[in-house]
Amino acid sequence: MFVGRRMKRDLVTVPPGASLSEAARLLKANRIHHLPVVEEGRLLGIVTDTDLRNATLRGAADEEVGAPRTVGEVMTRDVVTLSPEDTIDDAMLILSRQRLGALPVLDGDRLAGIVAKTDVLSALIDTLDIEGIGVRLEVILPRDMGEVTRLSAALGELPVEVRSLVLAPHGTDRYAAFVRVATIDASGVRERLRGKGFDVAELSDFYEPG
Amino acid sequence: MAADGTRGWGPGGPWPERDIADGFDRLIAANRLFGAELNPSVLKKSGKGTPFLVRKPPLRHRMLALWRDLFENRVAPGELLALLSAEVHGLAHGDGLLLFGSDRLLYDCQILRGEESVGHLTLDLYRERDRIVPFLPFPTRPGHRVVYIEGISLTRQSTGYASALFRLYERLFHDLGFHLFRLKASLSVGKYYWAKEGFECTDREQFQEVRDGLWDLVRRLGLPVFEQEVRRLTHMSDVAAFRRDLKVPVWRDREGYYTFERDAAHSEEFLFPLGKAYLLCAAPWDGHKVIYTDTPRRTAFVWSEKYLSHGTPVGHPEGLRRLTALREAIRREGLLGSLIVTEPYMPGMEALHAVHDPAYLEAFREAVSRGDRYFATRDCAIGAGSYEAALLAAGGVMAGIDAVFSDRSDNAFCAVRPPGHHAGRATAMGFCFVNNVAVGASYARSAYGVARICILDWDAHHGNGTQDLFEEDPDTLFVSIHEHPSFCYPGTGRRMDRGKGAGAGATLNVPLSPHAGDKEMIGAFEREVVPAIEAFRPELILLSAGFDAHRDDSIADLECTEAAYVHMTRRLLELADRHCGGRVVSVLEGGYRVESFVASALAHIRTLQGREETPCSSAGG
Repeated sequence: MFVGRRMKRDLVTVPPGASLSEAARLLKANRIHHLPVVEEGRLLGIVTDTDLRNATLRGAADEEVGAPRTVGEVMTRDVVTLSPEDTIDDAMLILSRQRLGALPVLDGDRLAGIVAKTDVLSALIDTLDIEGIGVRLEVILPRDMGEVTRLSAALGELPVEVRSLVLAPHGTDRYAAFVRVATIDASGVRERLRGKGFDVAELSDFYEPG
Repeated sequence: MAADGTRGWGPGGPWPERDIADGFDRLIAANRLFGAELNPSVLKKSGKGTPFLVRKPPLRHRMLALWRDLFENRVAPGELLALLSAEVHGLAHGDGLLLFGSDRLLYDCQILRGEESVGHLTLDLYRERDRIVPFLPFPTRPGHRVVYIEGISLTRQSTGYASALFRLYERLFHDLGFHLFRLKASLSVGKYYWAKEGFECTDREQFQEVRDGLWDLVRRLGLPVFEQEVRRLTHMSDVAAFRRDLKVPVWRDREGYYTFERDAAHSEEFLFPLGKAYLLCAAPWDGHKVIYTDTPRRTAFVWSEKYLSHGTPVGHPEGLRRLTALREAIRREGLLGSLIVTEPYMPGMEALHAVHDPAYLEAFREAVSRGDRYFATRDCAIGAGSYEAALLAAGGVMAGIDAVFSDRSDNAFCAVRPPGHHAGRATAMGFCFVNNVAVGASYARSAYGVARICILDWDAHHGNGTQDLFEEDPDTLFVSIHEHPSFCYPGTGRRMDRGKGAGAGATLNVPLSPHAGDKEMIGAFEREVVPAIEAFRPELILLSAGFDAHRDDSIADLECTEAAYVHMTRRLLELADRHCGGRVVSVLEGGYRVESFVASALAHIRTLQGREETPCSSAGG
């Protein structure tokens, strides 16, 4: 999945000469945390609500130098960016490893969009169909595609609609298959899969009251 | 202590048998107690005459045994006679006699205005025998105690006498522990008043004729009444109160009989509301009334055989066995006599379209008539009777709402299927097709002008259909308590979902962790649900009552017992008493393990009736 498909295109940006209070107002009004700083369509830097807060604090502490006045003075110039051909995986890894909140996407030298942490989470919610109607089952399989095939055949024979199916590694020699099924009778599905020899976990048993 | 009626009426210990026997002797000496046997020639012809032949009183021990069986010696013979013949509306009883039949006690008297005899009354007090095997005469066990009005005749219609007398008798027999009050005599006199007093037509077909007659009248007079309004009537009391806004002329004769056509005899004109005018002129009908003994609250039980006609395949959790088992248990526990059994009716399409997309309902109807095995999703299995049953389930909630707003009952339990709380505007899922509580809420608004409605949903699954329908409505508080969506179908109903737009704050989701039991359920109910309903001040409480949070029900991972349902029901009634005159209409949703479902539903129904169950737990409060 490419960044171009998931990035936000209707951007809120700010010119380098904008005042700090103007930038703060934009962040608040749009309920966002990152403002790309743009001049003639070119990305100069990025300013976050943390930058603004730190600038104000610094100005109050150091009266001689005086508080910075414009966005250009406080923005981060060394911006980590993506291109539309980068993948969501890239975005996830950068956001996670560099502990960033949002990544501007450049098409050539033009700012084309932005990918924030929430956009990546939305992609995950959609992939796992967390908001859709259904119940999640967890089936532990030997790491053998034959078993995966057997599972999907077994699911196909059941009178249920499969909403999503995610295969994840489970230790070194097994898979965990997360199956989201649209049936109220999930316990019936579990029983039938167990009847065919599958190791179906009771998710509820992993809950440990604190 | 005198055993002949000088003691004040009130709860007291039973009379000793010696006092009862003394009472018999006194009445025999005063020629007011005899033996009697039924007069077969009169019964066969069902003509005029005395329905019994007077004999010498039977043996003392047989009279004592009957007295014990009927009254548990809570009243002495002379006392009973005095209570039965109390003066009402200026009319007194003369020549009042107690007559002992082989299995029944009769009361017979003249009705007097001053010295003049204006009527005659015979009561028949006996105990029904329930057959243990329905089609075999034996063995039997003691059943309901019944007051049967063998006959009442009045020489003229005396306005209000019958209703005043029966109100008195209702109280009296209630206190004496009787279950049923039946009127055998055809209601040729005072039928409007008796309908208003809650006497019900004994024969459904006869009631159908009454309803047809009303519709004929409406058409003959060209009144602005929809057929649907007439078809919706299910009780005589509804007919009596029908369309008070429409006044209809009737003519009365000197005897006090009314007709719609003026003639030589019927010359005095009156303008009466439609229902009253119709019943004053209508043909006689046979009525009975149920009275309630040991239940502080009157609970309507909405039920129809047609709910069994929604056929699902063998092994499907939502099977008709749920309802047949519940019905059997209600019968077995002797609850039937104390419940106001109420027939649902087919709702008009406009009531359904207020909630559901017409094209969706049409697609459902077509799927059923095509003979499809399921509709929309594999969970929603259907059979030939499914469309009708689903509509009738919504109509059942409407009938329950009618019962509480017409004061025929204090609250109601609607034993409907298929369930409804997963059904959305155009979606069938999770065994649900028509959102029964939502149709009920919309009907309560249009028919009774109710504004603020609370829908509480304690089914183990989130009531996503109901939430979708009301999440933007600030006047409907939807509260759902269910297993957490990460573990349980339908995967919705997170705490963060609190309503949308104008309805923000009028949705409350209380997810419970897997394996939560009574303590957690009751704790969450007390901490979150009770204050929310209290603050909302509803005018009506609808309950989506699923019983699948029970620990024996494997469809969800919650581990509650009947005690949680008893506790929550009781607290809900307290809230309803404070805010909406006790009006709770409980609607069956899930509950799939038959044994735990039946036990939980029974405990819930008994608590709705106000019966004492296990003490209210204070867990989490």
